Amino acid sequence: MYTWMPITSTADLAKLVQHISPEYAPAAVAKRLENGLSEAVKAILIERNYIDKDYRSTYYNFYVKKGRRYRADCVRIHFFDGTVSFDDKVLALSSNDQRLTDHYYGFMVLRPTGIATIGRSVVTPDVRRGASRFIITADHKVHLLGHKLTIRGFPSMDQHIDISVCAHATCWSILRHYSERYNAYSEFLTHDITLMAQQFDPGGLVPSRGLALSHAERVFQEADTYPIIVARDIKNPGDLSFYRQLTAYVDSGFPLFAAMHNKGHAMAVVGYEWRAPLNTALPGMRYSWDEVKTLAVVDDNHLPYLSIPVDGGTYSAKDIDAFIVPLPEKVFYPADAFDKLVPKLFKLGTVIQLPPQNETIIRYFITTGSAFRTFVRNRQSEFDPKLLEAIMKLPFAQFIWIVEFATEAQWAVNQISARAVIDATASLTESYPFWIFHGREEALIFGRESVDLNLQTGMGVLNMAAMGHTGFTRMDTNLRPTQSK
Amino acid sequence: MEKDQTGVFKLVDGLKPVDAKALAAFEREMTEEAIPEMIKEVEKRRMLAAESRHRQLEMPIVDKPEPTKE
Repeated sequence: MYTWMPITSTADLAKLVQHISPEYAPAAVAKRLENGLSEAVKAILIERNYIDKDYRSTYYNFYVKKGRRYRADCVRIHFFDGTVSFDDKVLALSSNDQRLTDHYYGFMVLRPTGIATIGRSVVTPDVRRGASRFIITADHKVHLLGHKLTIRGFPSMDQHIDISVCAHATCWSILRHYSERYNAYSEFLTHDITLMAQQFDPGGLVPSRGLALSHAERVFQEADTYPIIVARDIKNPGDLSFYRQLTAYVDSGFPLFAAMHNKGHAMAVVGYEWRAPLNTALPGMRYSWDEVKTLAVVDDNHLPYLSIPVDGGTYSAKDIDAFIVPLPEKVFYPADAFDKLVPKLFKLGTVIQLPPQNETIIRYFITTGSAFRTFVRNRQSEFDPKLLEAIMKLPFAQFIWIVEFATEAQWAVNQISARAVIDATASLTESYPFWIFHGREEALIFGRESVDLNLQTGMGVLNMAAMGHTGFTRMDTNLRPTQSK
Repeated sequence: MEKDQTGVFKLVDGLKPVDAKALAAFEREMTEEAIPEMIKEVEKRRMLAAESRHRQLEMPIVDKPEPTKE
Protein backbone atom coordinates (compact mmCIF):
# COMPACT_ATOMS: atom_id res chain seq x y z
CA MET A 1 0.00 0.00 0.00
CA TYR A 2 2.98 2.32 0.61
CA THR A 3 6.07 2.60 -1.57
CA TRP A 4 9.12 4.74 -0.77
CA MET A 5 10.84 6.11 -3.85
CA PRO A 6 14.20 7.89 -3.33
CA ILE A 7 14.95 10.60 -5.89
CA THR A 8 18.57 11.29 -6.75
CA SER A 9 17.77 13.40 -9.80
CA THR A 10 14.55 14.64 -11.40
CA ALA A 11 14.98 11.90 -14.02
CA ASP A 12 14.12 9.40 -11.26
CA LEU A 13 10.58 10.77 -11.24
CA ALA A 14 9.95 8.70 -14.37
CA LYS A 15 10.04 5.63 -12.08
CA LEU A 16 6.54 6.55 -10.90
CA VAL A 17 5.38 4.54 -13.92
CA GLN A 18 6.78 1.37 -12.31
CA HIS A 19 4.77 1.87 -9.13
CA ILE A 20 1.48 3.44 -10.16
CA SER A 21 -1.26 1.89 -12.28
CA PRO A 22 -1.74 3.42 -15.79
CA GLU A 23 -5.25 4.71 -15.03
CA TYR A 24 -3.59 7.37 -12.84
CA ALA A 25 -1.49 8.45 -15.88
CA PRO A 26 1.82 8.30 -13.96
CA ALA A 27 3.89 9.08 -17.07
CA ALA A 28 2.14 12.40 -17.63
CA VAL A 29 2.35 13.19 -13.91
CA ALA A 30 6.07 12.38 -13.84
CA LYS A 31 6.67 14.65 -16.83
CA ARG A 32 4.82 17.51 -15.14
CA LEU A 33 6.82 17.03 -11.91
CA GLU A 34 10.12 16.73 -13.77
CA ASN A 35 9.49 20.07 -15.46
CA GLY A 36 8.49 21.97 -12.35
CA LEU A 37 9.88 20.52 -9.12
CA SER A 38 13.26 21.51 -7.74
CA GLU A 39 16.08 19.11 -6.89
CA ALA A 40 15.27 19.58 -3.19
CA VAL A 41 12.68 16.80 -3.42
CA LYS A 42 14.69 13.71 -2.50
CA ALA A 43 11.98 11.16 -1.83
CA ILE A 44 8.38 10.37 -2.70
CA LEU A 45 6.07 8.24 -0.60
CA ILE A 46 3.34 6.64 -2.73
CA GLU A 47 0.13 6.03 -0.76
CA ARG A 48 -2.36 3.76 -2.55
CA ASN A 49 -6.08 3.18 -1.83
CA TYR A 50 -6.40 6.77 -0.71
CA ILE A 51 -9.96 8.04 -0.30
CA ASP A 52 -10.06 11.59 -1.58
CA LYS A 53 -13.17 13.60 -0.70
CA ASP A 54 -12.99 15.77 -3.81
CA TYR A 55 -12.65 12.85 -6.21
CA ARG A 56 -15.36 10.93 -4.34
CA SER A 57 -17.75 13.89 -4.82
CA THR A 58 -17.36 13.51 -8.59
CA TYR A 59 -17.30 9.71 -8.39
CA TYR A 60 -20.64 9.46 -6.56
CA ASN A 61 -22.30 12.06 -8.77
CA PHE A 62 -20.82 11.31 -12.16
CA TYR A 63 -18.28 8.53 -12.71
CA VAL A 64 -20.34 5.83 -11.01
CA LYS A 65 -23.20 6.56 -13.41
CA LYS A 66 -21.08 5.77 -16.47
CA GLY A 67 -21.03 2.44 -18.30
CA ARG A 68 -17.25 2.35 -18.09
CA ARG A 69 -16.00 1.28 -14.65
CA TYR A 70 -13.93 3.76 -12.68
CA ARG A 71 -12.10 3.00 -9.45
CA ALA A 72 -13.32 4.68 -6.31
CA ASP A 73 -9.91 5.19 -4.77
CA CYS A 74 -7.00 7.50 -5.54
CA VAL A 75 -3.25 7.47 -5.14
CA ARG A 76 -1.62 10.18 -3.04
CA ILE A 77 2.05 10.99 -3.45
CA HIS A 78 4.00 12.88 -0.78
CA PHE A 79 7.22 14.85 -1.26
CA PHE A 80 10.09 14.91 1.28
CA ASP A 81 13.62 16.22 1.58
CA GLY A 82 16.72 14.02 1.90
CA THR A 83 16.69 13.80 5.70
CA VAL A 84 13.53 11.69 5.94
CA SER A 85 13.61 7.91 5.91
CA PHE A 86 10.90 5.28 5.69
CA ASP A 87 10.84 1.92 7.44
CA ASP A 88 8.61 -0.30 5.33
CA LYS A 89 8.49 -3.01 8.01
CA VAL A 90 6.69 -0.82 10.52
CA LEU A 91 5.44 1.77 8.00
CA ALA A 92 7.05 4.64 9.88
CA LEU A 93 8.53 7.91 8.68
CA SER A 94 11.35 9.49 10.64
CA SER A 95 13.80 12.35 10.57
CA ASN A 96 16.82 12.98 12.80
CA ASP A 97 15.29 16.04 14.44
CA GLN A 98 11.84 14.43 14.88
CA ARG A 99 10.30 17.44 13.11
CA LEU A 100 8.84 15.68 10.10
CA THR A 101 6.73 18.68 9.07
CA ASP A 102 9.90 20.73 8.51
CA HIS A 103 11.02 18.20 5.90
CA TYR A 104 7.67 17.77 4.17
CA TYR A 105 7.02 19.52 0.85
CA GLY A 106 3.39 18.57 0.27
CA PHE A 107 1.19 16.09 -1.55
CA MET A 108 -0.58 15.42 -4.82
CA VAL A 109 -3.66 13.23 -5.24
CA LEU A 110 -3.89 11.24 -8.48
CA ARG A 111 -7.37 10.36 -9.74
CA PRO A 112 -8.13 7.09 -11.60
CA THR A 113 -9.60 8.89 -14.60
CA GLY A 114 -7.01 8.15 -17.28
CA ILE A 115 -6.64 11.78 -18.34
CA ALA A 116 -6.15 14.96 -16.32
CA THR A 117 -5.43 12.82 -13.28
CA ILE A 118 -3.85 15.39 -10.95
CA GLY A 119 -6.38 16.00 -8.21
CA ARG A 120 -6.28 17.92 -4.94
CA SER A 121 -2.69 19.01 -4.35
CA VAL A 122 -0.92 21.26 -1.91
CA VAL A 123 2.79 21.70 -2.52
CA THR A 124 5.06 24.31 -0.95
CA PRO A 125 6.22 27.08 -3.33
CA ASP A 126 9.71 26.48 -1.93
CA VAL A 127 10.21 23.44 -4.18
CA ARG A 128 8.57 24.93 -7.28
CA ARG A 129 11.23 25.85 -9.78
CA GLY A 130 10.96 29.56 -10.66
CA ALA A 131 8.26 30.38 -8.07
CA SER A 132 7.68 34.07 -7.42
CA ARG A 133 8.91 35.73 -4.24
CA PHE A 134 5.56 36.36 -2.50
CA ILE A 135 2.74 33.79 -2.49
CA ILE A 136 -0.67 33.68 -0.79
CA THR A 137 -0.70 30.54 1.36
CA ALA A 138 -2.56 28.78 4.16
CA ASP A 139 -1.67 25.88 6.42
CA HIS A 140 -3.18 22.54 5.34
CA LYS A 141 -3.25 19.57 7.71
CA VAL A 142 -2.17 16.19 6.37
CA HIS A 143 -2.68 12.88 8.18
CA LEU A 144 -0.19 10.26 7.07
CA LEU A 145 0.70 6.97 8.79
CA GLY A 146 -0.24 8.37 12.18
CA HIS A 147 1.77 11.53 11.67
CA LYS A 148 -0.01 14.87 11.67
CA LEU A 149 1.84 17.02 9.13
CA THR A 150 1.27 20.60 8.03
CA ILE A 151 1.98 22.01 4.62
CA ARG A 152 1.83 25.71 3.80
CA GLY A 153 0.78 26.34 0.22
CA PHE A 154 -2.06 27.10 -2.16
CA PRO A 155 -4.37 24.28 -3.31
CA SER A 156 -4.48 23.23 -6.95
CA MET A 157 -5.92 20.52 -9.21
CA ASP A 158 -6.40 19.73 -12.88
CA GLN A 159 -9.84 20.25 -14.35
CA HIS A 160 -11.70 16.95 -14.89
CA ILE A 161 -12.36 18.04 -18.50
CA ASP A 162 -15.66 16.15 -18.80
CA ILE A 163 -17.53 17.54 -15.80
CA SER A 164 -15.39 20.49 -14.76
CA VAL A 165 -13.35 23.00 -16.71
CA CYS A 166 -10.51 25.35 -15.85
CA ALA A 167 -12.90 27.88 -14.31
CA HIS A 168 -14.30 25.27 -11.89
CA ALA A 169 -10.79 24.19 -10.92
CA THR A 170 -9.86 27.84 -10.28
CA CYS A 171 -12.97 28.45 -8.14
CA TRP A 172 -12.21 25.27 -6.21
CA SER A 173 -8.59 26.33 -5.54
CA ILE A 174 -9.61 29.74 -4.24
CA LEU A 175 -12.48 28.45 -2.11
CA ARG A 176 -10.39 25.63 -0.63
CA HIS A 177 -7.78 28.24 0.31
CA TYR A 178 -10.52 30.30 1.99
CA SER A 179 -11.95 27.36 3.95
CA GLU A 180 -8.49 26.40 5.22
CA ARG A 181 -7.35 29.95 5.92
CA TYR A 182 -10.48 31.47 7.48
CA ASN A 183 -12.96 29.82 9.85
CA ALA A 184 -15.83 31.84 8.40
CA TYR A 185 -15.90 29.91 5.10
CA SER A 186 -17.26 26.42 4.46
CA GLU A 187 -15.50 23.71 2.50
CA PHE A 188 -16.86 22.95 -0.96
CA LEU A 189 -16.02 19.80 -2.90
CA THR A 190 -15.41 19.66 -6.64
CA HIS A 191 -18.93 18.54 -7.48
CA ASP A 192 -20.48 21.19 -5.20
CA ILE A 193 -18.71 23.84 -7.24
CA THR A 194 -19.98 22.57 -10.59
CA LEU A 195 -23.51 22.84 -9.16
CA MET A 196 -22.98 26.24 -7.53
CA ALA A 197 -22.21 27.73 -10.93
CA GLN A 198 -25.75 27.07 -12.13
CA GLN A 199 -29.18 28.21 -10.97
CA PHE A 200 -30.40 24.61 -11.08
CA ASP A 201 -28.80 21.17 -11.48
CA PRO A 202 -28.45 20.84 -15.26
CA GLY A 203 -27.44 17.18 -14.99
CA GLY A 204 -25.08 15.25 -17.22
CA LEU A 205 -22.09 17.06 -18.62
CA VAL A 206 -23.78 20.44 -18.89
CA PRO A 207 -21.68 22.14 -16.17
CA SER A 208 -18.59 21.80 -18.35
CA ARG A 209 -20.20 22.93 -21.56
CA GLY A 210 -19.21 26.52 -21.40
CA LEU A 211 -18.76 28.65 -18.35
CA ALA A 212 -18.97 32.43 -18.35
CA LEU A 213 -17.53 34.90 -15.87
CA SER A 214 -21.02 35.33 -14.42
CA HIS A 215 -21.05 31.61 -13.49
CA ALA A 216 -17.78 31.97 -11.60
CA GLU A 217 -19.17 35.08 -9.89
CA ARG A 218 -22.17 33.01 -8.86
CA VAL A 219 -19.93 30.31 -7.34
CA PHE A 220 -18.25 32.90 -5.12
CA GLN A 221 -21.60 34.41 -4.12
CA GLU A 222 -22.92 30.96 -3.19
CA ALA A 223 -19.80 30.45 -1.08
CA ASP A 224 -20.71 33.50 1.05
CA THR A 225 -18.00 35.78 -0.28
CA TYR A 226 -18.75 39.17 -1.84
CA PRO A 227 -17.24 38.96 -5.31
CA ILE A 228 -16.34 42.01 -7.34
CA ILE A 229 -15.67 41.75 -11.07
CA VAL A 230 -13.02 44.13 -12.41
CA ALA A 231 -12.74 44.18 -16.21
CA ARG A 232 -10.03 45.76 -18.32
CA ASP A 233 -11.05 48.50 -20.72
CA ILE A 234 -10.31 46.67 -23.97
CA LYS A 235 -10.50 49.92 -25.92
CA ASN A 236 -7.78 51.39 -23.74
CA PRO A 237 -4.62 49.26 -24.01
CA GLY A 238 -2.92 51.42 -21.40
CA ASP A 239 -5.56 50.69 -18.76
CA LEU A 240 -3.06 50.67 -15.91
CA SER A 241 -5.75 51.23 -13.31
CA PHE A 242 -6.90 47.65 -13.98
CA TYR A 243 -3.46 46.23 -13.18
CA ARG A 244 -3.00 48.52 -10.17
CA GLN A 245 -6.20 47.12 -8.73
CA LEU A 246 -5.07 43.58 -9.52
CA THR A 247 -1.79 44.14 -7.64
CA ALA A 248 -3.58 45.82 -4.73
CA TYR A 249 -5.95 42.89 -4.18
CA VAL A 250 -3.23 40.22 -4.52
CA ASP A 251 -1.03 42.25 -2.16
CA SER A 252 -3.98 42.19 0.26
CA GLY A 253 -3.87 38.39 0.33
CA PHE A 254 -6.98 37.85 -1.82
CA PRO A 255 -6.41 35.27 -4.58
CA LEU A 256 -7.98 36.39 -7.85
CA PHE A 257 -10.03 34.43 -10.36
CA ALA A 258 -8.39 35.76 -13.53
CA ALA A 259 -10.03 35.45 -16.94
CA MET A 260 -8.21 35.40 -20.26
CA HIS A 261 -11.01 35.51 -22.80
CA ASN A 262 -8.63 35.54 -25.76
CA LYS A 263 -7.39 32.12 -24.62
CA GLY A 264 -10.76 30.96 -23.28
CA HIS A 265 -9.02 30.23 -20.02
CA ALA A 266 -9.09 31.03 -16.32
CA MET A 267 -6.56 30.68 -13.52
CA ALA A 268 -5.89 32.00 -10.03
CA VAL A 269 -3.42 34.80 -9.41
CA VAL A 270 -1.80 34.03 -6.04
CA GLY A 271 1.39 36.08 -5.80
CA TYR A 272 3.99 38.28 -7.38
CA GLU A 273 7.65 39.21 -7.45
CA TRP A 274 9.09 42.73 -7.53
CA ARG A 275 11.65 43.56 -10.17
CA ALA A 276 15.17 44.40 -9.01
CA PRO A 277 15.44 48.00 -7.74
CA LEU A 278 16.51 50.49 -10.39
CA ASN A 279 19.84 52.27 -10.11
CA THR A 280 18.51 55.47 -11.64
CA ALA A 281 15.26 57.02 -10.56
CA LEU A 282 12.58 57.10 -13.21
CA PRO A 283 10.67 60.37 -13.51
CA GLY A 284 7.09 60.60 -12.31
CA MET A 285 4.99 59.02 -9.57
CA ARG A 286 4.81 55.23 -9.83
CA TYR A 287 2.60 52.53 -8.39
CA SER A 288 3.57 49.12 -7.05
CA TRP A 289 2.28 47.57 -10.29
CA ASP A 290 5.14 49.36 -12.09
CA GLU A 291 7.57 47.45 -9.88
CA VAL A 292 6.07 43.98 -10.49
CA LYS A 293 8.25 41.58 -12.48
CA THR A 294 6.12 38.43 -12.47
CA LEU A 295 2.75 37.19 -11.26
CA ALA A 296 2.39 33.77 -9.64
CA VAL A 297 -0.55 31.84 -11.05
CA VAL A 298 -2.24 28.54 -10.29
CA ASP A 299 -3.14 27.31 -13.76
CA ASP A 300 -4.45 23.78 -14.20
CA ASN A 301 -2.24 23.25 -17.24
CA HIS A 302 0.89 23.56 -15.11
CA LEU A 303 2.20 22.79 -11.66
CA PRO A 304 1.08 25.51 -9.21
CA TYR A 305 2.94 28.81 -8.78
CA LEU A 306 3.81 29.27 -12.42
CA SER A 307 5.53 32.65 -12.84
CA ILE A 308 4.25 34.66 -15.77
CA PRO A 309 5.86 37.92 -16.88
CA VAL A 310 4.05 41.23 -16.80
CA ASP A 311 4.32 41.48 -20.57
CA GLY A 312 5.77 39.64 -23.56
CA GLY A 313 5.86 36.02 -24.65
CA THR A 314 2.88 33.78 -25.28
CA TYR A 315 1.53 33.94 -21.73
CA SER A 316 1.69 37.08 -19.65
CA ALA A 317 -0.31 39.31 -17.31
CA LYS A 318 -1.41 41.28 -20.36
CA ASP A 319 -3.60 38.29 -21.35
CA ILE A 320 -5.75 38.87 -18.25
CA ASP A 321 -8.76 40.96 -19.22
CA ALA A 322 -10.97 40.55 -16.16
CA PHE A 323 -10.74 39.20 -12.66
CA ILE A 324 -13.02 38.38 -9.77
CA VAL A 325 -11.90 39.18 -6.25
CA PRO A 326 -13.94 37.31 -3.61
CA LEU A 327 -13.97 39.90 -0.85
CA PRO A 328 -15.22 39.68 2.72
CA GLU A 329 -18.38 41.61 3.47
CA LYS A 330 -17.04 44.79 4.97
CA VAL A 331 -14.90 46.26 2.20
CA PHE A 332 -16.91 49.15 0.79
CA TYR A 333 -14.25 51.61 -0.33
CA PRO A 334 -13.32 50.35 -3.80
CA ALA A 335 -9.82 49.98 -5.23
CA ASP A 336 -11.10 51.92 -8.28
CA ALA A 337 -10.96 55.09 -6.19
CA PHE A 338 -7.25 55.08 -5.43
CA ASP A 339 -5.99 56.29 -8.80
CA LYS A 340 -7.97 59.48 -8.22
CA LEU A 341 -7.44 59.75 -4.47
CA VAL A 342 -3.69 59.21 -4.24
CA PRO A 343 -2.50 62.26 -6.24
CA LYS A 344 -4.73 64.46 -4.05
CA LEU A 345 -3.11 63.14 -0.86
CA PHE A 346 0.01 65.12 -1.75
CA LYS A 347 -2.04 68.27 -1.07
CA LEU A 348 -1.78 67.29 2.59
CA GLY A 349 1.97 67.77 2.23
CA THR A 350 1.44 71.13 3.90
CA VAL A 351 0.63 69.26 7.12
CA ILE A 352 2.62 66.03 6.73
CA GLN A 353 6.05 65.78 5.23
CA LEU A 354 5.82 63.63 2.10
CA PRO A 355 8.42 62.84 -0.56
CA PRO A 356 8.08 64.87 -3.80
CA GLN A 357 5.14 63.45 -5.76
CA ASN A 358 7.15 62.77 -8.90
CA GLU A 359 9.72 60.76 -6.91
CA THR A 360 7.27 58.58 -5.02
CA ILE A 361 6.30 54.94 -5.39
CA ILE A 362 2.77 54.25 -4.12
CA ARG A 363 1.57 50.92 -2.82
CA TYR A 364 -1.94 50.27 -1.51
CA PHE A 365 -3.60 47.16 -0.14
CA ILE A 366 -6.20 45.92 2.35
CA THR A 367 -5.41 44.41 5.72
CA THR A 368 -7.23 44.03 9.01
CA GLY A 369 -6.96 46.51 11.86
CA SER A 370 -5.64 43.75 14.09
CA ALA A 371 -2.97 42.69 11.55
CA PHE A 372 -1.86 46.32 11.32
CA ARG A 373 -1.63 46.62 15.11
CA THR A 374 0.40 43.38 15.26
CA PHE A 375 2.74 44.70 12.57
CA VAL A 376 3.23 47.98 14.47
CA ARG A 377 3.65 46.23 17.83
CA ASN A 378 6.42 44.05 16.38
CA ARG A 379 8.24 47.21 15.23
CA GLN A 380 7.25 49.58 18.01
CA SER A 381 10.73 51.15 18.25
CA GLU A 382 10.08 52.73 14.82
CA PHE A 383 7.08 54.68 16.12
CA ASP A 384 6.75 57.72 18.34
CA PRO A 385 4.90 56.53 21.51
CA LYS A 386 2.06 58.99 20.85
CA LEU A 387 1.49 57.58 17.36
CA LEU A 388 1.70 54.07 18.76
CA GLU A 389 -0.95 55.01 21.31
CA ALA A 390 -3.22 56.35 18.56
CA ILE A 391 -2.81 53.17 16.48
CA MET A 392 -3.68 51.03 19.48
CA LYS A 393 -6.64 53.16 20.61
CA LEU A 394 -8.46 54.11 17.42
CA PRO A 395 -11.55 51.94 16.91
CA PHE A 396 -10.63 50.65 13.44
CA ALA A 397 -13.26 48.87 11.39
CA GLN A 398 -12.30 45.23 10.71
CA PHE A 399 -10.70 46.07 7.35
CA ILE A 400 -8.49 49.01 6.47
CA TRP A 401 -6.77 50.17 3.32
CA ILE A 402 -3.10 51.05 3.74
CA VAL A 403 -1.42 53.48 1.33
CA GLU A 404 2.38 53.55 1.57
CA PHE A 405 4.62 56.28 0.16
CA ALA A 406 8.26 55.45 -0.60
CA THR A 407 11.13 57.09 -2.42
CA GLU A 408 13.10 55.00 -4.90
CA ALA A 409 15.91 54.59 -2.35
CA GLN A 410 13.48 53.54 0.38
CA TRP A 411 11.68 51.11 -1.94
CA ALA A 412 14.98 49.36 -2.62
CA VAL A 413 15.41 48.60 1.10
CA ASN A 414 11.77 47.82 1.96
CA GLN A 415 11.14 51.13 3.69
CA ILE A 416 8.55 53.88 3.38
CA SER A 417 8.29 57.59 4.24
CA ALA A 418 4.62 57.85 5.08
CA ARG A 419 1.50 55.77 5.48
CA ALA A 420 -2.22 56.52 5.24
CA VAL A 421 -4.67 54.24 7.02
CA ILE A 422 -8.05 54.44 5.30
CA ASP A 423 -11.33 53.07 6.59
CA ALA A 424 -12.34 50.25 4.20
CA THR A 425 -15.96 50.85 5.21
CA ALA A 426 -15.79 54.54 4.22
CA SER A 427 -18.09 56.00 1.62
CA LEU A 428 -16.75 57.11 -1.73
CA THR A 429 -18.13 60.60 -1.10
CA GLU A 430 -16.05 61.28 2.03
CA SER A 431 -13.30 63.88 1.79
CA TYR A 432 -11.61 62.40 4.86
CA PRO A 433 -11.95 58.59 4.72
CA PHE A 434 -8.88 58.26 6.99
CA TRP A 435 -8.05 56.93 10.41
CA ILE A 436 -4.41 58.01 10.34
CA PHE A 437 -2.04 59.69 7.92
CA HIS A 438 1.50 59.80 9.22
CA GLY A 439 4.95 60.71 8.00
CA ARG A 440 8.14 60.66 10.04
CA GLU A 441 7.58 63.99 11.80
CA GLU A 442 3.83 64.55 11.87
CA ALA A 443 0.70 62.45 12.00
CA LEU A 444 -2.90 63.39 11.30
CA ILE A 445 -5.32 61.47 13.50
CA PHE A 446 -8.99 61.32 12.56
CA GLY A 447 -12.00 60.64 14.74
CA ARG A 448 -14.76 58.77 12.94
CA GLU A 449 -17.33 58.68 15.72
CA SER A 450 -19.61 61.14 13.96
CA VAL A 451 -20.80 61.42 10.35
CA ASP A 452 -20.46 65.18 10.70
CA LEU A 453 -16.67 65.69 10.80
CA ASN A 454 -15.77 68.80 12.79
CA LEU A 455 -12.33 69.88 11.63
CA GLN A 456 -11.61 71.42 15.05
CA THR A 457 -12.50 68.43 17.23
CA GLY A 458 -12.66 65.53 14.78
CA MET A 459 -9.04 65.58 13.65
CA GLY A 460 -5.74 66.61 15.12
CA VAL A 461 -2.06 66.66 14.36
CA LEU A 462 0.71 65.00 16.37
CA ASN A 463 4.23 66.38 16.24
CA MET A 464 6.50 63.40 16.68
CA ALA A 465 10.01 62.91 17.97
CA ALA A 466 12.66 61.70 15.51
CA MET A 467 12.98 57.96 15.98
CA GLY A 468 16.44 57.70 14.48
CA HIS A 469 15.60 55.75 11.35
CA THR A 470 15.58 56.58 7.66
CA GLY A 471 12.13 55.16 7.05
CA PHE A 472 9.41 52.90 8.42
CA THR A 473 9.38 49.23 7.46
CA ARG A 474 7.16 48.37 4.49
CA MET A 475 4.23 46.21 5.62
CA ASP A 476 4.42 43.03 3.58
CA THR A 477 2.90 40.53 5.96
CA ASN A 478 -0.11 39.43 3.89
CA LEU A 479 1.86 37.03 1.66
CA ARG A 480 4.48 34.41 2.45
CA PRO A 481 8.03 34.97 1.16
CA THR A 482 9.18 31.96 -0.86
CA GLN A 483 12.38 30.30 0.38
CA SER A 484 13.52 28.47 -2.73
CA LYS A 485 15.14 25.13 -2.04
CA MET B 1 -7.65 71.67 24.35
CA GLU B 2 -6.61 70.68 27.89
CA LYS B 3 -10.14 70.94 29.29
CA ASP B 4 -13.41 69.59 27.98
CA GLN B 5 -11.66 67.52 25.37
CA THR B 6 -13.97 66.01 22.80
CA GLY B 7 -13.75 63.73 19.81
CA VAL B 8 -10.37 62.35 18.87
CA PHE B 9 -8.64 64.68 21.37
CA LYS B 10 -10.21 62.70 24.21
CA LEU B 11 -8.79 59.50 22.75
CA VAL B 12 -5.19 60.47 21.96
CA ASP B 13 -2.88 62.62 24.14
CA GLY B 14 -0.77 65.37 22.61
CA LEU B 15 -2.98 66.18 19.62
CA LYS B 16 -3.15 69.74 18.38
CA PRO B 17 -5.86 71.25 16.21
CA VAL B 18 -5.11 71.40 12.49
CA ASP B 19 -5.07 74.77 10.79
CA ALA B 20 -8.17 74.63 8.58
CA LYS B 21 -6.39 76.78 5.98
CA ALA B 22 -3.78 74.03 5.52
CA LEU B 23 -6.55 71.61 4.58
CA ALA B 24 -8.44 73.92 2.26
CA ALA B 25 -6.62 72.99 -0.95
CA PHE B 26 -7.00 69.27 -0.21
CA GLU B 27 -10.67 69.55 0.65
CA ARG B 28 -11.43 71.65 -2.43
CA GLU B 29 -9.68 69.19 -4.75
CA MET B 30 -11.43 66.25 -3.12
CA THR B 31 -14.93 67.72 -3.44
CA GLU B 32 -14.50 69.40 -6.81
CA GLU B 33 -12.29 66.86 -8.62
CA ALA B 34 -11.41 63.60 -6.89
CA ILE B 35 -14.80 62.47 -5.60
CA PRO B 36 -16.71 63.19 -8.87
CA GLU B 37 -13.91 61.43 -10.80
CA MET B 38 -14.01 58.45 -8.43
CA ILE B 39 -17.76 58.09 -8.84
CA LYS B 40 -17.33 58.27 -12.62
CA GLU B 41 -14.55 55.67 -12.51
CA VAL B 42 -16.57 53.28 -10.35
CA GLU B 43 -19.52 53.62 -12.74
CA LYS B 44 -17.27 52.98 -15.74
CA ARG B 45 -15.84 49.84 -14.12
CA ARG B 46 -19.35 48.67 -13.32
CA MET B 47 -20.26 48.93 -17.01
CA LEU B 48 -17.09 47.10 -18.08
CA ALA B 49 -17.82 44.36 -15.54
CA ALA B 50 -21.37 44.00 -16.84
CA GLU B 51 -20.06 43.59 -20.42
CA SER B 52 -17.53 40.97 -19.35
CA ARG B 53 -20.00 38.80 -17.40
CA HIS B 54 -21.25 36.77 -20.34
CA ARG B 55 -17.97 36.07 -22.11
CA GLN B 56 -17.27 32.33 -22.24
CA LEU B 57 -14.38 30.74 -20.40
CA GLU B 58 -13.40 27.29 -21.45
CA MET B 59 -10.28 25.88 -22.96
CA PRO B 60 -11.20 22.99 -25.29
CA ILE B 61 -9.19 19.87 -24.54
CA VAL B 62 -7.56 19.97 -27.97
CA ASP B 63 -6.03 23.33 -27.02
CA LYS B 64 -4.63 22.20 -23.70
CA PRO B 65 -0.85 22.54 -23.92
CA GLU B 66 1.47 19.63 -23.34
CA PRO B 67 3.75 20.13 -20.34
CA THR B 68 6.83 22.02 -21.43
CA LYS B 69 10.04 23.07 -19.74
CA GLU B 70 9.14 26.19 -17.78
